[in-house]
Amino acid sequence: MLLDYERLGWLRVALVGFTAAVAAFLLLPVVFIVLLSFGSSRWLAFPPPGWTLKWYEQLFADPTWIDAALTSARIAAMAAILAVVIGLFASFALVRGEFRGRQLLRGLLLTPMVLPVVVFAIAIYAFFLRIGLAGTTIGFVIAHTILALPFAIIPITAALEGFDKSIEDAAIVCGASPLQARLKITLPSIRIGIFSAAIFAFLASWDEVVVAIFMASPTLQTLPVKIWGSLRADLSPVVAAASSLLVGLTLCLMIVTALLRRKLSR
Amino acid sequence: MTAFKRQSFAGLPAGSGGAVPALLLVGLFFIVPVVALLLRSVTDPEPGLQNYAALFGSGTYVRVFLNTFLVAAVVTAVTILVAFPVAWMLAIMPPAIGSIVFGIIILSMWTNLLTRTYAWMVLLQRTGVINRALMGLGIIHEPLPLINNLAGVTIGMVYIMLPFMILPLVGTLRAIDPMTLRAAALCGAGPFQAFRRILLPLSLPGIAAGGLMVFVMSLGYFVTPALLGGTSNMMLAEMIAQTVQSLLNWGLGSAAAFVLLVVTMALYAIQLRLVGAGRPGGGL
Amino acid sequence: MTQPFLSIRAVRKTFGAFVAVHDVTIDVPKGEFLTFLGPSGSGKSTTLYAIAGFQDPSSGDVLLEEKSLLSVPSHKRNIGMVFQRYTLFPHLSVAENVAFPLRVRRRPDAEVKRKVADMLALVRLENFADRYPGALSGGQQQRVALARALAYDPPILLMDEPLSALDKKLRQEIQAEIRRIHRETGVTILYVTHDQEEALHLSDRIALFKEGRIEQIGTGEDLYLRPASEFVAGFIGNSNFLPAEHLETAASAATVRLADGSILTGLKATRPFDKGQKVRLMVRPEALSLTPGPASVALAVDIVDTAFFGDRRRVVARTAGGDEIDVRPTSDAAEPADPSASGQRIFFDPASAFLFPA
Repeated sequence: MLLDYERLGWLRVALVGFTAAVAAFLLLPVVFIVLLSFGSSRWLAFPPPGWTLKWYEQLFADPTWIDAALTSARIAAMAAILAVVIGLFASFALVRGEFRGRQLLRGLLLTPMVLPVVVFAIAIYAFFLRIGLAGTTIGFVIAHTILALPFAIIPITAALEGFDKSIEDAAIVCGASPLQARLKITLPSIRIGIFSAAIFAFLASWDEVVVAIFMASPTLQTLPVKIWGSLRADLSPVVAAASSLLVGLTLCLMIVTALLRRKLSR
Repeated sequence: MTAFKRQSFAGLPAGSGGAVPALLLVGLFFIVPVVALLLRSVTDPEPGLQNYAALFGSGTYVRVFLNTFLVAAVVTAVTILVAFPVAWMLAIMPPAIGSIVFGIIILSMWTNLLTRTYAWMVLLQRTGVINRALMGLGIIHEPLPLINNLAGVTIGMVYIMLPFMILPLVGTLRAIDPMTLRAAALCGAGPFQAFRRILLPLSLPGIAAGGLMVFVMSLGYFVTPALLGGTSNMMLAEMIAQTVQSLLNWGLGSAAAFVLLVVTMALYAIQLRLVGAGRPGGGL
Repeated sequence: MTQPFLSIRAVRKTFGAFVAVHDVTIDVPKGEFLTFLGPSGSGKSTTLYAIAGFQDPSSGDVLLEEKSLLSVPSHKRNIGMVFQRYTLFPHLSVAENVAFPLRVRRRPDAEVKRKVADMLALVRLENFADRYPGALSGGQQQRVALARALAYDPPILLMDEPLSALDKKLRQEIQAEIRRIHRETGVTILYVTHDQEEALHLSDRIALFKEGRIEQIGTGEDLYLRPASEFVAGFIGNSNFLPAEHLETAASAATVRLADGSILTGLKATRPFDKGQKVRLMVRPEALSLTPGPASVALAVDIVDTAFFGDRRRVVARTAGGDEIDVRPTSDAAEPADPSASGQRIFFDPASAFLFPA
């Protein structure tokens, strides 16, 4: 009866109350940051003494914030495209291939997700220092592609495993070339997986802090590096404004994902 | 499907060709740098194990190790305790209410890590909302030290780890047949007995797998402990970063990184075995 | 009937506008094997769940020895139950599963040990005590479930389609076990099934459910030989139905006209009919034969097909009205080997046929 929602009695009251409290705990920081970004207190007092848009004005007046955001977007877009393309090819090999060591290969390609980022960060930083890629956009993109790759491979392999290969074979029997069959039959069928892969890969790079802290140069820094630097200095409300915009972006991504999924799965 | 033998090129095994770009990328820019780093731990500044000797011989570093394990253990324990009831309800709730909670979990999970940590810095500071609220309610008279200490790290990390524990646990709990619990009730087990003897043991594999994952992730966490923790309870990841970035002691930093890598990978291997399938969870 | 042991009084269960159970009332004497039979969705399981305490009835009451069970939570009802799905605790061994209800009752170790041994002997699984449920076959799992449900000597055992997941041979084997265990323990059993053969084989009485109501309750013989409605006749055993028109009833012997114009008389009317009312004539396949008996009437048909089954033959006949009739005469010497020899006629005793309203 512990798994019958209707018959938990007093226990249900307690557990639903607890769940609501945890949901509030998860929502609390996000809501507070957005509220505080409109508050007039320099010291982030709550409730704010008044409401203002000046932190947003300061944010948009400062070219380093805009630069950092554009850099982040550029690097994340490139890393996401690379990760999805490379991940798509790798997924076909992982799901369809018939060779020994397939599981080992899967494990290897997913390792960057498991290894503590700080280990990879200093390793790739040292390596790039040696070959002259440290502080360059290419270096950033390579490092972020590696971190984004597992997030692309997992949804694509999952979608591919759920796709019945005999449909592709049927297309070939009907006269399509293997390449045509893949492009016209298989890819459209796993588009939800590819779409999820793109979102996750983008976010993996966009939100990445640790590698970015090491890789950044005075002329090349991403948004998380900019925020990190500001946080180490003080708790300026400008960061709250920047953070609120990031929350807004997350919400937009969630809504777009939900809508697209509904549309694509129809 | 022998009718459609896929072409294999350059003598590669059938169907493996697609993995070549990924393998090249990961091999050249992941395996090589990491191996080079590990080699550095026994060659920099000179060949030998002096970096490891320094690491394990110094009280400061040993304290960092112990503190890292302590924080990871506390975070894991608190995360499990908080996540279990939530996962339980999410597993059996009517979907209309449940999807709201799921939405909140996903929102918090997708929100920028620095944003979330920054929010907790603001909330937990001496003059922050939580201290003011507690003082306003008359529960405390002096502001509680909630930041730059174990409490701050725990709150911030639990916040980040909760989704990673809740979501897989919901799967575990949904896989348990409610009839089993009804059978336990008819056998005479009241709510407490049914929980202790049936529900908890049946969800233990999920708790263990999720808990181990949270523990492993916590061990190597950098951002949140660096911002919410204090100098007296520094964690391993921050120490590695500082050793390399500020002290430029690459040999020692590499050795510490190697220790972190070995512990992480060993625990991860156990976690994979617990989950059963040879595939990490997460993704969605 | 002895004084009711378990009493189900006007139990009604609604889900929104849908009425799953309509005011079901049954008294069950101690030691009876009562089966709830019916198609799926007929309310039989819902009634059982009300007794188990998984669902509260919308109205009505369930009394055990005159005391209401409704305010008692499931875990204090002291009722045994075997489920449709395998509900053994997968993390406990067979012995630990059977011991579970005793452990939660904090019985002394020695008693638990003795009782577990007794129960495993009862279901003949003594050698499986240390196995885990995952290593048992479906039939063995259900026998352990039975042992677990009986371990605490519950006054009532509920069984919710316990054999539906098993194959036919195993089903028959475990039916025999259940009969034996009922005999040996004397426990009162409420058994739910949609399988009429299972119900006939096992039960003292059968309550036949239809759309949330009890259509008829009685022994298997009652339901088979004296069906109260066309639904009962159709659900229990095999039956042939022929459309007919009621002409008159005298001394509870009715006369009807069949579609082909032939008149049959001496039929049992289950209720009064009006003159000219459309009725349905029901006759069991085994009541039909190809040779005339002392009191039989004849029906002109076309013999369509014939097959031999050892103890019986099966003949498919078609009336002039186009209705197919299933005939299952015994294959003894009296019956002609070549059915066409009967002159395209089949015979039955009108006393073995029934009339139901159309």
